[in-house]
Parts: sequence; structure tokens; C-alpha cells
Amino acid sequence: MPDATFLDSTELVLNMGPQHPSTHGVLRVILKLDGEKVLGTDCVIGYLHRGVEKIAENRTYAQFSPYVDRMDYVAAISNGLGYCLAVEKLLNVEAPPRAQAVRVILTELNRIASHLLWLGTHALDIGALTPVFYCFREREEALKIFEKYCGARLTTHAFRIGGLQYELYEGFEQEVKAFCDMFLPKVDEYEELLTHNRIWLSRLKDVGILTAEECKEYGVTGPVLRAAGVKWDLRKAQPYSGYEKYDFLIPTRQNGDTYDRYMVRMEEMRQSVRIIRQAVGAIPEGPVMAKVSKVIKPPVGEAYVSIEAPKGELGYYIVSDGSTQPYRVRVRPPSFVNLQALDRMVRGALIADVVAVIGTLDIVLGEVDR
Amino acid sequence: MIWSFLKKVFLVDLFEGLWVTFRNQKTKYIYTEQYPAERPKVAERYRGAPRLNLNPETGEPLCIGCNLCALACPENLIVMTSERNEKTKRKEMKTFLFDTSRCMFCGLCEDACPSDALELTQDFELATYTREGQVWTKQMMEEGPKPTRYTC
Amino acid sequence: MAEEKAPPPKPAAKPPATMAATPWEGDLARGLKERFGDAVTEASSYLGQNFLVAKPEAITGILQWLKWEADFDYLVDITAVDWPKRAERFDLVYILYSFLRNERVRVKTRVPEGYHPQSVVGVHLTANWLEREVFDMFGIEFAGHPDLRRILMPDEWEGHPLRKEYPILQQDQRWVQENLGIESGQ
Repeated sequence: MPDATFLDSTELVLNMGPQHPSTHGVLRVILKLDGEKVLGTDCVIGYLHRGVEKIAENRTYAQFSPYVDRMDYVAAISNGLGYCLAVEKLLNVEAPPRAQAVRVILTELNRIASHLLWLGTHALDIGALTPVFYCFREREEALKIFEKYCGARLTTHAFRIGGLQYELYEGFEQEVKAFCDMFLPKVDEYEELLTHNRIWLSRLKDVGILTAEECKEYGVTGPVLRAAGVKWDLRKAQPYSGYEKYDFLIPTRQNGDTYDRYMVRMEEMRQSVRIIRQAVGAIPEGPVMAKVSKVIKPPVGEAYVSIEAPKGELGYYIVSDGSTQPYRVRVRPPSFVNLQALDRMVRGALIADVVAVIGTLDIVLGEVDR
Repeated sequence: MIWSFLKKVFLVDLFEGLWVTFRNQKTKYIYTEQYPAERPKVAERYRGAPRLNLNPETGEPLCIGCNLCALACPENLIVMTSERNEKTKRKEMKTFLFDTSRCMFCGLCEDACPSDALELTQDFELATYTREGQVWTKQMMEEGPKPTRYTC
Repeated sequence: MAEEKAPPPKPAAKPPATMAATPWEGDLARGLKERFGDAVTEASSYLGQNFLVAKPEAITGILQWLKWEADFDYLVDITAVDWPKRAERFDLVYILYSFLRNERVRVKTRVPEGYHPQSVVGVHLTANWLEREVFDMFGIEFAGHPDLRRILMPDEWEGHPLRKEYPILQQDQRWVQENLGIESGQ
């Protein structure tokens, strides 16, 4: 942050404290202002730090997987998928095709749920009070499917190392198909509410521009990178869990401003429905769990596996020393790395734009702080 | 273009949004659940309050005292003791303590139980007035929580 | 005369298991070895993931070479692993990705306690917060970092939590007493 002296009367230091309705969690942003214009920001994080990486060193591999859901608590299934893929890589096993197809369906439903929550809260921050109710209503339908499958709505613990614990319940395919059919017109409804709305346009266009070069420098991934024009998605670049079988597009836009990120995420929801429809139509038969011993003891080594979480690249770097407990688990959180770019995006903007930019980065403090 | 100018003056885009809201005002779209008058139906696999099952025919506890649930729990909140029953020559569970205040309802104990004794049921009303009331004994585990029923 | 039986010889202690890494033969590894010679001590691959171990002084040079010559322009992560029984206690790991080549590479280095590795903020801007987190959790100070202070723990906290000697239930009693007014562990 540039020098702040208390005697300088034109600059004001304002605290957008940890308790704030628009910071999506306990995020503290210290704003240095000149009137209403932002000259610099300083993010103070760590209010939700729970020491997940330290806990991992004291639990066995299977015991640690419920903790992983609680990092990005909005989209818990992706976290579970990343962790299970990382441990499976260390064990050198692969989940059977049926498990992979179900994993893809649940992960894409989870992506839709996460984007719905993002849209609802982002619109709420900007001032549009209606979309949040509709988004949460649709999110309920997705959460009902999670509840029927694995027993919990939010902290799902859906995947196990080696595959799935539960077989599909009766009526899973019909319910997922019904959800897809119900949901696609709803995306059009949200667009009707927001996309051409003049208030939305003037709040979001040309706000928080992050060009492709800046994105790569800051290591920003996910919809933010795609809105800047870089057509990169880990599901296409380094496919995992059977994504290469499905046909979908990667939405990109040119400007890299907040409006483009909104359009990219709306289009991603539609592409997710497309993936789910393809996957549900063709779930292969077979076992749902690979041959993994009861006591998981990977050989000495390390692996880094990353997936395309709804918020960006979520990576797990696991170091094993041959015992039943991991030696080190490092979680590379997309929200943590994306939040660094906040400073660059709000230089010269107004305070209201800070709220819009925090919303558009789609951060979840559980993941930033772990 | 005259058309876009007229659209701007007559607030067409704002009315489009308002029309969506008005459409959703029909009473059939009400989504609110009237809890606690009607208790929501939770799924069969819902991970709620734990319960120790009894054999439906004989009424004997199904627990064989193997301690696998305690070993599987990430929080180490299950404490059980067992002793060998001389008559049947088998291990029998004597005391069972389950601390629901630290439980994260992950279901690992339920997955680990070999005899389907420990099960996470559909009860989700687990609030108590004291911290000690959150630690469940064997009897509370077999009966389940008894929340107050509110009816309007 | 009593015969004294010599105690049976103890079986030789098994060496600790190490990672079954295979050497990494690729033109990238060759290019690095040519350019940096001795500074790259090992270039191997495990489970299909390539990594190289280098000397700590050469890290900035290697990252610069990888960024400008080999198109590894995206720094994915910086992290550290604590091996307390080793002389060079920390394993500093940099994970890089190249959009053009679509591949990842890990650059590892071993730093002893008290060593100040050079910060790579000049090469990749992402390193700012990532190095702050490594400092916060492990205590590795980076020389040349513009703003090295704690990021996840409170600023006045003492102790570096992810070190192996820091027990999981320990808290900084003095900080908790001063700032929260309660006895730690309640």
C-alpha cells in the first residue's frame, strides 16, 4: 500500500470490516480513499483460518475427506473430487467408469449450484433483490438431489477414495433429467431480469477490468481468466474423471470486465446442463468402488492434482511418507489467488465498484483461509 | 436508432424484469415451507441424529462391541467399553458415549459399523439447553432425541 | 569353562523408503541442465509428474528461464514441506504451468532453517501472497519481498503453525489472553 500519513487530509483510510454484508464472508478490506475514489486496498484475511492443512497431518486419508468439504462450503463436491483424485493418483488406482460418470454428474450439478449462489449474492450486492430468491429456489432442487444421494445438502462427503460409497438411488436419472429440463428456461429467466437491464449494465460494464496478461501474471484462473479472452479450462486441457467423453464449449469473452464474467458464468451454467444431459443418458453399469484396501497407505511420494472447480483451479499437493496419515496436504485455493488481483482491479474505481469486484471474483472465505 | 431511443425512454428493459417478478406472484409458485407446522421430509439417506439399533425381533442390541466406529471417527468422539459375556462367550457393549456437539455428521461411523447397529437417522432437531446434554449415553442413543413438537 | 555365546548379530537396519522416481529425459530437462549445470541436482519424474531439485540460489534464475525461454508463465503454487530430521529442513516447492505446452513442472529446493531464499515476486506477481503464506506457516523469510508479514494468522502471533514441532492443539497463549481475554483452549 502507498504511504499513509495521518496528517494528510485528502486521503481517508476506511475499513470495510470483517462483518460486512457484501464481502461474502469474513473478509476485511482496508481502503485508502480520496473522496469516493479508491487509491489502494489491503486485504486482511485469516478470520476463518481453521488449520485444515495441519489437521490433515493428524488424520488418516479416509478420515480427512469430510474436512475437505468445509473449505469451499458452497461447492463442497468439487473439493471432495479433487482430494479423492489426488489420493487415487498417489495410490495409482482409477475409479471405475460408473463412478466416474456419477462423479461428473454430481460435480456439474455442484457447479450449477455454486454459480447460482454466486449470481444471487452478486445481484444482491449490486442491489437487485429479486434474483437471490429465484437462484436459491433452483439451488434447493440441486441440493435435494445431493441430499437424496449422499445424505447431506451442503457438506456432502459424496466421494470416497477409489470411487463412491453409495449406489445410485432409485429415480436418480429421472430426477436429474427433470432438473435439467426445469433449469434451462430458468437461466433465460435470470437473463431476462438482468442482462439488458440498464442499471445492471451501468454498474457492471467496464468495472474491474483485468486483461489476459494481468490474469496470467497474477495466476488468476477460472471464469475470470475466461472472461479476459483466454480459452482455457482444465476440463478440456487436462481432462480428469472421464470429461474427455463429453462434448461442451468453453465460453469466453473479450473485455475482462465484470459484465463479461457474469456472461461467462451464465453460459457455463448452460454448458453444465449440456454435460449433465450427456452423462445421465449414458451411465455405464459396473461396480462403483475400485479395489482399494481398507487401510490406505500410499507409497512414499508426492503428487499434485488439480481440477476445474467452479471458482478456478483447485489443486491438492499431497506428500506421503508411506504411513496411513499424509505427511503434508497443501490445498491450492482458487479464491486465495484470485483475491490478490483485487488491488489491481479497483485502482481508480469507486467504493461501489469494490463491492461489485469482490462479488465478481466469486470468493469463498472458507477456501481463502482454509 | 429511433427504436432503441424509444426503448430507453419508455424503460422497456426495466419492465421486462418487472414482468418476470409479476409472473412469479402466482400462489402456485410459493416455495416457503411452513416449519414448524409441517416438518420437512428429508431423504432416506439423510445423515442426522445417530441411533443404536436394536434387533427388531428379539429387542437385543445389535452392537457387537468391535470399536470400529470409534476408530473411524475423525473427531474421536465415540468412547465405548465392552466386556465379555461369559454365558454367550461373546463381547457385549457396556457403555457408549457419543458427543454430538463435536460430531460433523460425516457418516464414517455408519459406514464402518459391520452389524448395522450404528445408524444416522433423519432426526435433525438436536438442540439441548446444556452442553452436557449433547453427550449422549447408550440409553439416549437407543431412544433417539425427543424434540418438542410444536403444532399450530 | 562356560562357553559364552555371542549375541546373535542384529539384522541390518532397513534404509527409509524413498520415492520411486524415474529420471526425467526430455528436452526441457536437457535445456535446464545445459543452462544451469550443477545448480540442478536432480531431474526426475514420479507418476508422470516431472520435477527437478535445484540449489536455492539458482531458483530465481531457473524460474526466469522457465518463464521467458520455456513459456512457463503461470506460477500455480508455492509451498513448503517440513522435514525436521534433515539438515536442510524445508523443501520449498514451486509448481509452474505452461499454457502453450499444457504441462506442469515442479521446482523443488532444500533450504535450511534461517536461510532467506530470494523472493520471486519480480518474476511472477502471484508469488506475493503465496510467499507470505509460506512465511506465516513455516517461518521461511524471503529476501526482497515487498511486504512480508503474516497473512492467515494474526500479525502478533508467535510461532509458525505448520512446522512439525508445533503441536496441533497449541495456541499462542499470550496473544489469546491479550486479544480475546479468555484462557486459551476454552
